[in-house]
Amino acid sequence: MTESTNTPVIVLRGLKKHFGVGDAEQYALDGVDLTINKGEFVTIMGPSGSGKTTLLNVLGLLDTSIEGDYQLEGRAVNTLSKRQLARIRSRQIGFVFQSFNLINRLTVIENVALPLTYKGGLSHIKRLKKASEMLATFHLNEREYFLPYQLSGGQTQRVAIARALVNNPSIILADEPTGNLDSRASHIIMEELSDLHQRGNTIIMVTHNPDLTTYASRVITMLDGKIASDTDSLLGQPSVEFKRPLAMVVRPSTDNQAANSQTKPVVTTLSKVDRRKLKVAVRKRQQIAKNRAPARHAEEYHQ
Amino acid sequence: MSRFLLSSHLQNARHSLRSNRSRTLLTILGIAIGVASITTIMSLGDGASQVVAQQISNLGGNLAIVRPGPSRTNFLTDITVPQGQNYATSTLTDSDVAAISALPHVKEIAPISVINSTITGQHSAPAGTPIVSTTPALSSVDGLQLDVGQFLDSNISQNTAVVGSNLARIIFGTTDALGQTAYIRGYNFTIIGVLKPLNQPINYNNIDFDNAIIIGQDIGRQLSNGSAQIQQINIRSDSAANLTSVVSSINKTLSAQHFGDKDFTVLANSDISQPTSELFYAVVGVTTSIAAISLFVGGIGIMNIMLVSVAERTREIGIRKAIGAHTTDIVWQFLIESLALSLSGGFLGYIAGYGLAFMISTALPFYPSFNWQIAAVSFGLSVLIGTIFGLYPAVRAARKDPIEALRYYS
Ligand SMILES: Nc1ncnc2c1ncn2[C@@H]1O[C@H](COP(=O)(O)OP(=O)(O)O)[C@@H](O)[C@H]1O
Ligand SMILES: [Mg+2]
Repeated sequence: MTESTNTPVIVLRGLKKHFGVGDAEQYALDGVDLTINKGEFVTIMGPSGSGKTTLLNVLGLLDTSIEGDYQLEGRAVNTLSKRQLARIRSRQIGFVFQSFNLINRLTVIENVALPLTYKGGLSHIKRLKKASEMLATFHLNEREYFLPYQLSGGQTQRVAIARALVNNPSIILADEPTGNLDSRASHIIMEELSDLHQRGNTIIMVTHNPDLTTYASRVITMLDGKIASDTDSLLGQPSVEFKRPLAMVVRPSTDNQAANSQTKPVVTTLSKVDRRKLKVAVRKRQQIAKNRAPARHAEEYHQ
Repeated sequence: MSRFLLSSHLQNARHSLRSNRSRTLLTILGIAIGVASITTIMSLGDGASQVVAQQISNLGGNLAIVRPGPSRTNFLTDITVPQGQNYATSTLTDSDVAAISALPHVKEIAPISVINSTITGQHSAPAGTPIVSTTPALSSVDGLQLDVGQFLDSNISQNTAVVGSNLARIIFGTTDALGQTAYIRGYNFTIIGVLKPLNQPINYNNIDFDNAIIIGQDIGRQLSNGSAQIQQINIRSDSAANLTSVVSSINKTLSAQHFGDKDFTVLANSDISQPTSELFYAVVGVTTSIAAISLFVGGIGIMNIMLVSVAERTREIGIRKAIGAHTTDIVWQFLIESLALSLSGGFLGYIAGYGLAFMISTALPFYPSFNWQIAAVSFGLSVLIGTIFGLYPAVRAARKDPIEALRYYS
């Protein structure tokens, strides 16, 4: 596994984002301080409405009407022009959403080639070739000329990840990419993401599923627009031994099917999982993923 | 916008128009009708001009004509103010004719007046048959040829007339009508000549000589109680090379005669071939209104469909922005789509317009003409409509907030 370096790619200081004016004014992000280094795999958890999506939109430069400081790879975002922002979105950031990721009218391969179109400089043929190569790494080359509605949920998300990657972005932002998937499909997606993580990408993923946090190198919990807990702040101090359970409050979420089945707040703990153990677990999963990869895809075709 | 992005937008437009064939077809109908009517009228109008141009070039390139009324400078007055014989009172006089004939390099001159009255031979002529009152010079100025007999002559009786071959057949039952008598307003005219069939219903005189009767100027004036107006003066210079100088000296002389009023138009060669008939301008007027209305309605249709399409693709716009599309990329995407709509409408209209023109031309003595101007007008109008009515939806699409667009679950 590639170690996360100490090069910060994202630095947030006192970040605030409000919607509405006057009495209706409400802070979706209410003072977020966060540093994410290159190569980290961060999952963001927290109840519905706690500001996770808003945070991803800010990080992905879709939302620039913010208060506070945001430095992306050393550049203050509020100094960038709209065109520069679009350029960064095109070249440095890959987005994966919970659902409706793909453009329905376009085939799988056209969807994957789309970011290359906006990056420019490649002919249609070359774009398709590159998209095809990308799809092949996701074992989707036989689905190239399918339309999105002809894919399963898991396949759709893998196409979305392929599209997010086609421009070789350094940062992947995924907003509940497994939110609509069953647990098996979720794990396939997570294995793809941890693969990317291994190859040195910075991944920031929102999820409601506590099981999936084991793939990550860092878990952040949000509550009411603030960061409620961050494993990094505890794990970052080498002297601290993880004897104490690290409680993470996960309220039932209205926009997550899995969480809906539970009526009471769930408390998951990372109690016995110290830093080393977490790493071991992640490595183990990756090993499993690697061994399982060919069989898994063969299975999927028959679905 | 890069070359690659353009081709991608084009492909996208083709794709989205194809996926909604019937909607696309209905949307482009307005543009198609508008462009079709313009193509029809322009190709037929130009076909008619070419017929006249051919006649004039056959005459040897030394013909100039003077018509009453100021020259037309723009298309709108062109189609609303008819020229020539339609003037209630002509601004041209006998002294103008005299002044022009005195100019150097003027070889021949023939003023033309047209009188409307009933003509009777053994049978009556159809209503509206023109009685052309002119001078003997007309025969050589216009290159009129006789089948039998002779043309007007100032040395013989004024009670003589020359008839067109078709009119002769109608009122005398034969083209060999020499010596027959025609009656106009109580005056008797002996037929001294019958013209060779010209088969030129369209010509720069706006007179179909095959169906006309030609009489002398003096008797014409008598029989119309002096109300016969000079509707046109035809002039031949002594050579084609001198035509330009003749035109400018006619302009100078007539300006002086009319105390500086530019209430006449001097035309030479190809300018003469512009269509002038009232019917033509009426048709142009009607067609232009139809075209304008259809194009406007078509434009509204495009705007409507594009707005629907923008709303339908809200989520798509959000995704495109998230993966790196700039505002202008989105504007172009939708603008090119509306241009594709209007251009396919224009293309369809252009084809249909020619189809219609050829159908109409089976009843006309000429064919519609092909030229780049008509294609350019069709293309230009389509681009104009596509841009004007596509811009607002495109800008609306581009202005969509990506966050709102991504919250939109279609
Ligand atoms: N476009 C918006 N307009 C108004 N309020 C919004 C908008 N987007 C998000 N919010 C509010 O901001 C808060 C955080 O939303 P969001 O980031 O979507 O939460 P999460 O993704 O954690 O469920 C919520 O209270 C939500 O109602
Ligand atoms: Mg959310």
